[in-house]
Amino acid sequence: MSLTLPSLVSILVFPAGMFLILLGMVYEYVDRKLVARYQNRFGPRWFQPLADMFKLLAKEEIIPDGVNKALFIFLPILGVTAALTSALYTPMLGFAPAFSFRGDLILVVYMLSVLTICLGLAGANTVDRFSLVGATRTLTQLFSYEAPFMLTLLGPALAAGTLQISQINAYAQDTWWMILTQPIGFLVALIGLMGKLELPPFDAPEAETEIVSGALTEYSGRGLALFRIGKNVELVIGLTLISAFYLGGLANPLEFILKTLGLLLVIALLQSLFARLRIDQTVGLWWRIGAILALVQILILVVGRLFF
Amino acid sequence: MENTKINAWEKTLNGLKTWARINSPWVIHYNSGSCNGCDIEILATLTPRYDLERFGVKLQGSPRHADILLCTGPVTRQSRDRLLRIYEQMPEPKFVVALGSCGLSGGVFHGSYNIAGGVDEVLPVSAYIPGCPPRPEAIIQGVVALLNSLKEPKG
Repeated sequence: MSLTLPSLVSILVFPAGMFLILLGMVYEYVDRKLVARYQNRFGPRWFQPLADMFKLLAKEEIIPDGVNKALFIFLPILGVTAALTSALYTPMLGFAPAFSFRGDLILVVYMLSVLTICLGLAGANTVDRFSLVGATRTLTQLFSYEAPFMLTLLGPALAAGTLQISQINAYAQDTWWMILTQPIGFLVALIGLMGKLELPPFDAPEAETEIVSGALTEYSGRGLALFRIGKNVELVIGLTLISAFYLGGLANPLEFILKTLGLLLVIALLQSLFARLRIDQTVGLWWRIGAILALVQILILVVGRLFF
Repeated sequence: MENTKINAWEKTLNGLKTWARINSPWVIHYNSGSCNGCDIEILATLTPRYDLERFGVKLQGSPRHADILLCTGPVTRQSRDRLLRIYEQMPEPKFVVALGSCGLSGGVFHGSYNIAGGVDEVLPVSAYIPGCPPRPEAIIQGVVALLNSLKEPKG
């Protein structure tokens, strides 16, 4: 399904901009509610992310001593901008991407990493020791999950023979669901997304029981709100990418909602099942198991393409 | 005409701010010299059985993220400066809730040489929750009462 919109509308309203911020809040609510139900409690009310966001935006923003003020203010904006920009190249709601060119998958993967890098820099910018530890862990985690995650996104791209997201999406709709043909890739991609979003088994970078709240310790009010928006947007885009690649493509809004929410159900289950890993365990898991598995998947694909 | 428009806009904006504040209280917990009884009750309040996330309450690690400072125990002279520092690190608007008999008045430690007094000797306290220790229900009621008091502007 395709939808042609003026560029300004597609940048400010749909698929990036207001729509995506609201959709991110909806997904945050669903995620929190699912985790709550898995833990046998009621969980938040439906407007909770909205109330959190308004409250944070209305709160005082403290700029601590010893930071570079310009960076402190600019980094959250850059992170959110990068996350929102990557939405322009993904098949949001099952419509064709607003912009598309050969190799836009690589651009999207880089854009999604910018938020994490901003988070790490924001932590390293302050003199607070907890922020510094959090920043170190954020960047360490970035280096560990990024390679396997990229390799798993490369799997469907190899199968489709293109690096253009809209074409991979179209290819995925025509063939078998790639979760069946590349199950290892799907698993690593799903866990890679959780590492990217710093969700519970991989939340060592913001472990509130040991390092206060990681890189975001010194952020209050607006900056914190922007980083939260960025995280939510990244959640939506990650779910969109994985379901477009591995779950038989996204052809219409109904499919989009069903597939991404189904994926979120699994992610919420994994979040409530596992306890936090230490940062060295996270790195070990990714490089010793994740990267090898992703490479094996790629190898099977390449060999399969050579002989069949 | 222009003026009333601006006023209406400001009114809705203020209403929105108050609504958001009431519905999203993030809490930080500090023990200023308590026997740990109240702290255990706070943790019990945050467990799935009482599920404070229903009201939007989240326990935050960083004072920079918190709206409400839950303070337990009498303020010892040792922890007085730290308590003040944590309070000053919180961004406006912020509220303090004193928990337990000791937090209210010093309790059994009242008049002791190493005690600065109850929490309200050091910080402006918005809500008092009595009990030794207060039950989780009492803590929830105290926090909800504080949030309800935000609805009407003080005049």
